[in-house]
Amino acid sequence: MIQILHISNHTLFWYYLLSNLAYLAMLIIAVKTSARHQRRLGSHRLSWIRETPLIPPIAIIAPAHNEERSICVAVRNLLDLDYPELELIVVNDGSEDCTLAVMQKEFHLRPVRAIYVPEMKSARVRGLYRSDVDARLLVVDKEAGGSKADAVNAGLNALTSPYVCIVDSDSVLERDALLRIMVPILENPKRVIAVGGIVRVLNGSEIKDGQLQRVRLPRKSIEVIQVIEYLRAFLIGREAWAQGNMLMIISGAFGVFRSDLVRSVGGYRSRAIGEDFDLVTRLHRYMREQKLDYEIRFVPDPMCWTEVPSDLKSLGRQRARWQKGLLDVLWPSRNMLFRVRYGRIGSFALPYLWLFELFAPVVEITGLVTIILAACLGVLSGAFFSQFLIFGYAFATVISIGSVLQEEITYKRYNDWQDVVRLLGYCFFEHFPYRQMHMFWRLQGMWEYLRGDHAWKPLKRKGLASARAH
Amino acid sequence: MASIFEKLWNLGPAAFILKAIVAAFIANAMLLAFILFRRAYRKRYFTRRDKRVFELRQNWDALISGKVPYTEWRNKTLDLQIVEAMALDALEASGPEESARLLKFLRNSGLIEKRICEARQFTGWRRLQALVALGCTRAPEGISALAEGLRDGDIEVRLAALRGLGRMASPQAGEEILASVAEMGLCIPALPLQNALIQCTAERPQILLPYIRHAESPFREVLGRVLGEVATPSLGPDLLQFAEDEIDELRAAAARGLSHTKVELALDVLSELGHDPTWFVRLRAIVSLGKLSDRRTIPTLLRGLTDANRLVRFRAAEGLVAFKTEMGPIFAAVIATRDRYGLHAYLTALENAHLRGMLEEELQASTNISEKEKGHLQSVLMTGALPTEDAAMTAEIPEHVAALR
Repeated sequence: MIQILHISNHTLFWYYLLSNLAYLAMLIIAVKTSARHQRRLGSHRLSWIRETPLIPPIAIIAPAHNEERSICVAVRNLLDLDYPELELIVVNDGSEDCTLAVMQKEFHLRPVRAIYVPEMKSARVRGLYRSDVDARLLVVDKEAGGSKADAVNAGLNALTSPYVCIVDSDSVLERDALLRIMVPILENPKRVIAVGGIVRVLNGSEIKDGQLQRVRLPRKSIEVIQVIEYLRAFLIGREAWAQGNMLMIISGAFGVFRSDLVRSVGGYRSRAIGEDFDLVTRLHRYMREQKLDYEIRFVPDPMCWTEVPSDLKSLGRQRARWQKGLLDVLWPSRNMLFRVRYGRIGSFALPYLWLFELFAPVVEITGLVTIILAACLGVLSGAFFSQFLIFGYAFATVISIGSVLQEEITYKRYNDWQDVVRLLGYCFFEHFPYRQMHMFWRLQGMWEYLRGDHAWKPLKRKGLASARAH
Repeated sequence: MASIFEKLWNLGPAAFILKAIVAAFIANAMLLAFILFRRAYRKRYFTRRDKRVFELRQNWDALISGKVPYTEWRNKTLDLQIVEAMALDALEASGPEESARLLKFLRNSGLIEKRICEARQFTGWRRLQALVALGCTRAPEGISALAEGLRDGDIEVRLAALRGLGRMASPQAGEEILASVAEMGLCIPALPLQNALIQCTAERPQILLPYIRHAESPFREVLGRVLGEVATPSLGPDLLQFAEDEIDELRAAAARGLSHTKVELALDVLSELGHDPTWFVRLRAIVSLGKLSDRRTIPTLLRGLTDANRLVRFRAAEGLVAFKTEMGPIFAAVIATRDRYGLHAYLTALENAHLRGMLEEELQASTNISEKEKGHLQSVLMTGALPTEDAAMTAEIPEHVAALR
């Protein structure tokens, strides 16, 4: 027993060390990449991109479910985006409130026979509407499919543009976000098949008429900690993975894909829990199986602002769902592991996700339990334990402060001194007890999935309309 | 006596973790200090810059007219950066008169020469900056420096040079791009190249023709695409030679370009291209036929309505809807194709063009068709569905509809 406890404690130590070292390596890569990206931005004058003669059309797909309070603001925000060839497809996913009615009133929708080819699985479509106020707006009214994937698939069926941008209808895109996200595609449309933008925390910021007026740090601790998490995930994680063409997730809140390829892989898997991760994984699989040269990129400057959970219960549900989504994608992709044909995806990216993402809650919670057990049995080395704690804490803090540094040297959206000081302060406080709670939620998600709960459950959000009140 | 660091270092392998802890804390402290110092420094810098921008803006007219001696600001790095940035931004948004004034200022102050020199001498991102600035100026003397950038080993520099040349939007810049690609091969991604060439050759598309004749695939395809965008009526006969080219892109370009030429010249060729095995060639041909607005195109457009490709069908429908004086007979001809996808496309185009009401009125007022046929057409318009096979067999095709087919 004592031997097992020793092995477990040492495994936890090495696991933690390796995980943090991997993040440190990513931080270094990300800082270098961001610096290069900043310099390159100077040679991409947005006005030049806007005037590009052959700029490819993009269709934005925004699924909406029971969003009568915020849908009009969201649609206006999306229609106001600065992009010359834009179509907006709003999918009313069986809303039980007046989402469709408010859109009908605001945008003068009339029934049309737009092209709708049901190539991808989706619940029955009740009707298609085009706006008389702005012909770029098409509304697909469908029965509830029980998942965001189902709603997006309906949008994909009505799509005619060569590129599709999938967003959450309650997210706020900065006006030039589409121009910026299209930069890698315009440079090399044959090779670049998808691009992810950065998603940031909207809570606390000031919104007026669907437009972001002023970026502020949220007031609640739980929201600020999520700001650090998002910075770390996007500005370090995704930036670094994309550098090696191993980006496995393009956030469902904001990403651009080549429509033909999304169709080729069958669109979103309608029962997928982590539909965004699932789509990118299948794109990697498809491109590698077809032996096609491709790149999936991440661009850190096109920004999408989204609301994050502001209470522990919602956050717990969200994280449990993310973990379920992870397992839901990794398990069907297990045959890609260590197979030569899947290259670096099979030999590096997926094993990393299995080891340091999927198993992280299992390893950490088991480790904590064994540490407590060892302490109870009197076999825990006090020196080892304190060293482990201090080292883990200091190392993890380096990564968190590194993500704030990334934000500071690149996009610097928090202009207020107070905000930055608070953000830096929270880098020291996020490791206890938030991290342990986070691991517990994730473990809970895994448990639910293994017990057969595969349902996609949307989260309750306040929506854009309420964001004004901040 | 050994320092604290030496003591730590000499603790041996057992103290590795201790060293790591110290290193991590030092890293934390350094990161924090860097962030805070950088913030403070930048705040000071931008305050200074804002103040200087305001002062320079007050004297802007005197500055660009040369009343303020150039040496007064050229020798100060901050001023130089501000003035150049302000001048380039103004140039981007200015009309021809103001552009000429600003360009004169940039020339007289030596800023263009400075950027030309930097574009030639520097490497990496500083060369990038110089190339972009030259592109912003649209000064013809910058073309050769930009063209040299096209031959750089770094793709970023080549793309910046290409964008700069595209911004020039002059045939000379176009010639430089074409010569460079013809010499070095397609070392730039196709889309930015096409965009730059479209901007540069729009004024004189003839410069593309010799390259198209001699270029090989895939450069030839790129040129074909560009030609399709910039073709003018004056190119009519030259375009005809590409209508039978083996490269799909060139046939598509010919189809696209022919929409700008005389109907007599284009009609037969476009009708032929409307049967092309490649869908996007058919699409271009159908779009061009639609643009010709000649009733002789109706039979081909009707055939396009039954095409296997949905985009071709939709474009054919848009072309047919444009014939507002013959909506009734065309609608009858669409039904007579017995193609429900074609009918769907036609009704969609009709609704998108807000012409459904007009067709209803025309059917109501028409005296050329029998009451029975009128009811039949109205029923299809209302339901959007083709009549049953039996009804269609019994309904004879009227003469005016048969003539359209």
